[in-house]
Amino acid sequence: MADGVSWNRAIISNLELRSTKARVVYALMVIALVLLSVVVIVPFAYAFTSGLKTGREIFSPNFNLLPAEANWGNYAQAWNYFQLPRLFLNTTVLVLGGLVSQISVSMLAAYSLSRLKPIGGRYIMLAFLITLMIPSIAYIIPLYVTAARLGLLGSYWGLWFSYGVNAFMIFILKNFFDGLPSELFDAARVDGASALQVFVFIALPLTRSMLIVLSILTFVNLWKDFLWPYLVLLQSPELQPISVFLFTVEQRSTTPVNIQMAGYFMAMLPPLLIAIVLQRYMQRGLSLGAVKG
Amino acid sequence: MEIGLTNSAAKPARRQRLRIDWSQQIPAYLFLLPALVSFTIFAWFPILNSVVMSFQSVNLVDASRSTWVGLRNYERMFADPTFAASWINSLEFTILSIIIGFFVPVVVAVLVNEMRYARGFFRVVYFLPSVIPPLIGLLVWRLIYSPNPGGLLNSLVAALGIAPQQWLQNPALVKPSILVIMTWGGFGGTMLIYLATLQDLPVELYEAAEIDGASIWQRGVHIVLPHLRSTMLVLLIVQVLGLVQIFIEPLVLTQGGPGQATMTPVFTLYRKGFLNGDYGLAAAWSVLLMIVLGVISFIYLRVARIAD
Repeated sequence: MADGVSWNRAIISNLELRSTKARVVYALMVIALVLLSVVVIVPFAYAFTSGLKTGREIFSPNFNLLPAEANWGNYAQAWNYFQLPRLFLNTTVLVLGGLVSQISVSMLAAYSLSRLKPIGGRYIMLAFLITLMIPSIAYIIPLYVTAARLGLLGSYWGLWFSYGVNAFMIFILKNFFDGLPSELFDAARVDGASALQVFVFIALPLTRSMLIVLSILTFVNLWKDFLWPYLVLLQSPELQPISVFLFTVEQRSTTPVNIQMAGYFMAMLPPLLIAIVLQRYMQRGLSLGAVKG
Repeated sequence: MEIGLTNSAAKPARRQRLRIDWSQQIPAYLFLLPALVSFTIFAWFPILNSVVMSFQSVNLVDASRSTWVGLRNYERMFADPTFAASWINSLEFTILSIIIGFFVPVVVAVLVNEMRYARGFFRVVYFLPSVIPPLIGLLVWRLIYSPNPGGLLNSLVAALGIAPQQWLQNPALVKPSILVIMTWGGFGGTMLIYLATLQDLPVELYEAAEIDGASIWQRGVHIVLPHLRSTMLVLLIVQVLGLVQIFIEPLVLTQGGPGQATMTPVFTLYRKGFLNGDYGLAAAWSVLLMIVLGVISFIYLRVARIAD
């Protein structure tokens, strides 16, 4: 992506920008984008400030984004009420395990398909790719039934295991390995290295920057996952990740709205921070998908 | 598998002997093994099994106690009034969302691409709603859409002199309201794809048009839009693919209501399967859904290839 690339020109040229008419058009564009930014941020800001309000203030018919007085105690209360430390820990463990599973399974498969030339590899790749045409939500029922019969409900194992399935990642990594010069690998093979040694000492180090991008993308995606962990951990509230647990609590009991909002805002913070701090990687990860789009 | 064997052995025949090189094939398959196992359990088998289950009365715990019921599940699916309602809702969601949401990322990308400063800022800000768990976003939006006169949106429209609305309880408003949330959540990511496409537009085209006296608007319509057209077509299909899968919004916001205004195929399937325990019927819904999604994906592949 053209992050560091210098700006050339788009519709309006720099020279043209000296004219009043172009300046007006440009100013209107800026205003539109700034207004849109405000609209985009409002739900976050609203969750944050509602978390500081009293229950009555939230439903005051007069428009008030800010509370008369900031009740930071709501945040402390929500922190304990929703048991946020445990939820963050659960989510992190679940997501990191899923990440390791997804990346290692995909790496091994992609490397094999690209470099080790298994018999029938083309058909196997096709079988992987077909799963991209059918989103898992369409077969969530038989998926659930399978997991139930295998005894994978109520633990992280079933989830970690299932997160190994990502044909898109295999596809991207296979393309990456395909693009590497084969001399790199042939030399090592001639020297008598095993397939595993070539993979670990030659292929893996080359994928490092790619791996960072894919890991961040996967981390955020798995953090967002809801339905599948909800179904698998329905009977195990103590294991539920954050969005599953917040939904369960919301279904079962009535929590004061301001405490809810304080909790929701804190729940949104980690992915928001990741997106802001690691924006460059995230956007590059997205363009990986766009290239072959 | 036999086809694959003859096929891949035939090509390198000149370099290699026809004999299978086991010292290469064994590691190759060992590397593939984890993927083969997990795809079998969590994708290939459930996909095939949904077809099998759709002809059964399913016992969740013990497959051997499931009984065959022929086409009964399909008959029940088509006879259910929710069936037509769900798919019509899907269609309405799709049409409305093309009107409401489809052009937002296109326009925003074009504008952001004009900016001399703060392009990185806009990209990040617009992208933020895409990174939070959708479920938490929806819980916040539910409060924004509160029918209470003190709900955020109602207190905002009150400032414009509009009476409080039942955003999620009024059948006329509920679909647009949900689509606004979906647009909020998704346009930033889509915009990044359009921005990347815009980077490929040769600068000379703008210059030539400017020299020929084309106005800013004309340059936008005759140079930028045609350049984005194939990407737009591809992303249109991606959007439709997402709209057929609407699930979490009715789950959190409306329970399919008011009436059946937000019943969707996935939400109905979920209710039949998990709330009523009618896994066979739900599997029939799954099979139809897989066919529909498969067809849309197939169209996507064709279009994406042409767009390339």
